[in-house]
Amino acid sequence: MSIANESRRKFLKASTLATGGLAISIHLPAHAIAFSDNAQESTFSPNAFIHIQDNGDVLIYCGRCEMGQGINTALPAAVADEMDADWQKVTVKQADGNEEKYGPQATGGSASIRVMLTPMREAGASAKVMLIAAAAKVWNVEPSTCHAQKHAVYHQASGKKLSYGELASLAAKQTVPETVTLKAKKDFNYIGKFIPNQNIEQIIKGQLTYGVDTKLPGLKYAAIVHCPVLGGKLKSLNDKDARAIKGVIDVVVIDRLAIPYGSIGGVAVVADNSWTAQQAVKKLNIDWDLGENAHYDTKKYKAQLVKNVEAPAQLVTERGNLTEGLTNAAKTLKATYTGGHLVHAPMEPNASVVWVKDDSCEVWAATQSPADIQKVLAQFLGREAKDIEVHVTMSGGAFGRKFKCDYVHEAAAISQKINAPVQLTWTREEDTKTGYYHSINAQHIEAGIDEQGNIKGWLHRVAFPSIGTLFNPAQIRPSDGDFSAVDNYPYGIENFRSESGEAKAHTRIGWYRAVYAIFYGFSFSSFTDELAYLAGKDPLTYLNQLYDNNTNPDQQEQAARSKHVVNLAAKKAGWFERDKLPKNQAIGLAVHYSFQSYVAMAVRVEVNDEDIKVLQVDSAIDCGQVLNVNGATAQMEGAVVMGMGLALRTEVTFREGAVVNTNFHNYPVMRINEMPQVNVHIVDSEHPSTGLGEPGVAPFAPALSNAVFAASGKRYRDIPFKPMSV
Amino acid sequence: MEKMIIINGEKYQIDVDSNMPLLWFLRDRLEITGTKFGCGAGLCGACTVHVDGVATRACVTPVGALADKKVTTIEGLSVDGDHPLQKAWVENNVPQCGYCQAGQIMNAASFLQQNPTPSSDEIDNAMQGNICRCGTYQRIKKAIADAADELAKEVS
Repeated sequence: MSIANESRRKFLKASTLATGGLAISIHLPAHAIAFSDNAQESTFSPNAFIHIQDNGDVLIYCGRCEMGQGINTALPAAVADEMDADWQKVTVKQADGNEEKYGPQATGGSASIRVMLTPMREAGASAKVMLIAAAAKVWNVEPSTCHAQKHAVYHQASGKKLSYGELASLAAKQTVPETVTLKAKKDFNYIGKFIPNQNIEQIIKGQLTYGVDTKLPGLKYAAIVHCPVLGGKLKSLNDKDARAIKGVIDVVVIDRLAIPYGSIGGVAVVADNSWTAQQAVKKLNIDWDLGENAHYDTKKYKAQLVKNVEAPAQLVTERGNLTEGLTNAAKTLKATYTGGHLVHAPMEPNASVVWVKDDSCEVWAATQSPADIQKVLAQFLGREAKDIEVHVTMSGGAFGRKFKCDYVHEAAAISQKINAPVQLTWTREEDTKTGYYHSINAQHIEAGIDEQGNIKGWLHRVAFPSIGTLFNPAQIRPSDGDFSAVDNYPYGIENFRSESGEAKAHTRIGWYRAVYAIFYGFSFSSFTDELAYLAGKDPLTYLNQLYDNNTNPDQQEQAARSKHVVNLAAKKAGWFERDKLPKNQAIGLAVHYSFQSYVAMAVRVEVNDEDIKVLQVDSAIDCGQVLNVNGATAQMEGAVVMGMGLALRTEVTFREGAVVNTNFHNYPVMRINEMPQVNVHIVDSEHPSTGLGEPGVAPFAPALSNAVFAASGKRYRDIPFKPMSV
Repeated sequence: MEKMIIINGEKYQIDVDSNMPLLWFLRDRLEITGTKFGCGAGLCGACTVHVDGVATRACVTPVGALADKKVTTIEGLSVDGDHPLQKAWVENNVPQCGYCQAGQIMNAASFLQQNPTPSSDEIDNAMQGNICRCGTYQRIKKAIADAADELAKEVS
């Protein structure tokens, strides 16, 4: 691949490190990575993406946030590959929050690889060109007669060699190339290989620093209790008993900051350790005015959503003639699918350290979006975003939760009040009860098929409180944009209508790993399976028929790649030999395209009466050119675990406006004893690389549901199948 | 008489409220942070340490009850990260975010002490109390089985 860009010079800059060596920084127009003119090497304010030291050590900064998804291994390894660096000599550092310098850092939507891979590979390739140019100058030969290999440049004819360390300072003086040629697949050293998580040695020794681990001289510790209902406020507070506890320093009331990612409002206690603060919070005597959402009850709300999708709703998209399609169909089918709220529950609860001073504000946070911290704190403190310094720590899981920085805003409010650095760590209970929840949802599908099973009409009604309500509280139904996956589902449906049902938000809604793909994947793959039975066809044969008969030119790639992964998963799972399974076992299939990646799952279950045991999952993925086989495989294994928890048991329940769940005993996430065998099959793809943090979650629940139906005849249309009553 | 506690071979004075859980004594008083806070209720295992060699949930264990006890945290499990379990964790590329892994390793280390040749079901039973939200369970199981094999070789 050759990248030509007339204005590359504007975007790539090389500079000499103060310590000697080369620093390459790249700057792209929008969504980009900038350089600083100041090339001084300094510990806290690196000014470049790639640093090569005179001793050959390479430092690569990762601007995206790491939360276990492996981006700070995958992206730097791709850079190292392009520059023919020795990965053993590369150190990866998490960049501080600075989008001018590092490009977009908000880490979500499985977008890091899509957005950052090409610019970062170009940065690596440019470094290599300059290293080669430096060597050619030393040897007084043409650069084209030299080549780079494993941290050194070679001159073929003479057999001379100079290491990257030896060349670094001279390389910094070379011209930044106008164009770079990225490596061909056959030349990859690290891309597409199995690369260990670069944090692993620190993790197994307990040395990696997370959001909860920041320590500063004079650090104070805080705990908080939040207003239990969105929109409620503090009516009265008696903090006498809390203040009487030894070690308590102050009690701080935090008002709701009604901007996206601001605090919902609460009362915090500051002490000389977290435990004392937590104990003191329990002694607070608080009376809340719960406000207009005080009657929110998820059981009733879900029933209402079902009503809203089982009656005509607001038109979103119409193609062809649905009424005619359904009337002329040989057979019709209707089904309604529902799902509950979910909370992210990363193992590390929300935590950060903030130190607000008169002339500065410094933050250490487990976060997915340092720029949003800058924005929110700037607004709260009445300062410029650029004056909020954000150090991004490792996140102990995030899954979308740490995109929102309400917990950092709260730490800032406390620090400002007590004039000291503060670490605020939420308890598990607060983390569970004060979330940005995955939407509770209902979908109703009506479809008609002809004698062969071809779809003649499809009506799809959806109702869920939208994430858009975070930004526009007046929104009372899914927006048209929330329907893109529905409207473009790759069955080439000609007579189609989608409708949006009313669903006002009564709590904060947020992105949860895989987001809407969780329920869209569930409804489409479940309903397709139901249609296969209606048509009297084998579910895989039926899926292939739908893809093969899709004549919509805009959907050909999606149909072909979806078809490929689902057939791969089925074959690997033993789909064609499944008649040999015991009578109480069966395999279910599902495939879903989301975040531009394709994932299919074949789930094998054993069903004994009400007991569902997941035995094996074969997951097939097409994410374009895979970057790290280790990371991709790990994401699929993890997606099965998360998919299984939400399919079978986890649900957040609201009563009288507040969340009832509190901790892992009544939010029963999956544990090791239920872990099935997971096999991951990666398609050897030439397509551009796409992300995998989320796409694996969507197909699990429908594949499981389809498997359970095949094994037992029982069809689950409500997620979770077996909610714990709380 | 001052109460003392031995953590990773070092003696420390228990100079806090004796009801303070060991977790917070470690994390906030001594600033030994490898042991993690996950639930505060003994439900997730992220805070698992050894007290006299036995896996213990530090978040629900008052430090005052540990006078003269020997506590081992992830930082003290081995000299150089070379405990068979740590090696197996690296070999199997277990961690994703890594937050729960100190607790997983500490729980597994205590378990293998008691049962050096566990079956798959026995591993499941022993490790059920340790949650991993990233979902690394398949690799955890493999790593524990591998470490058990390694330990068996060392013994024989």
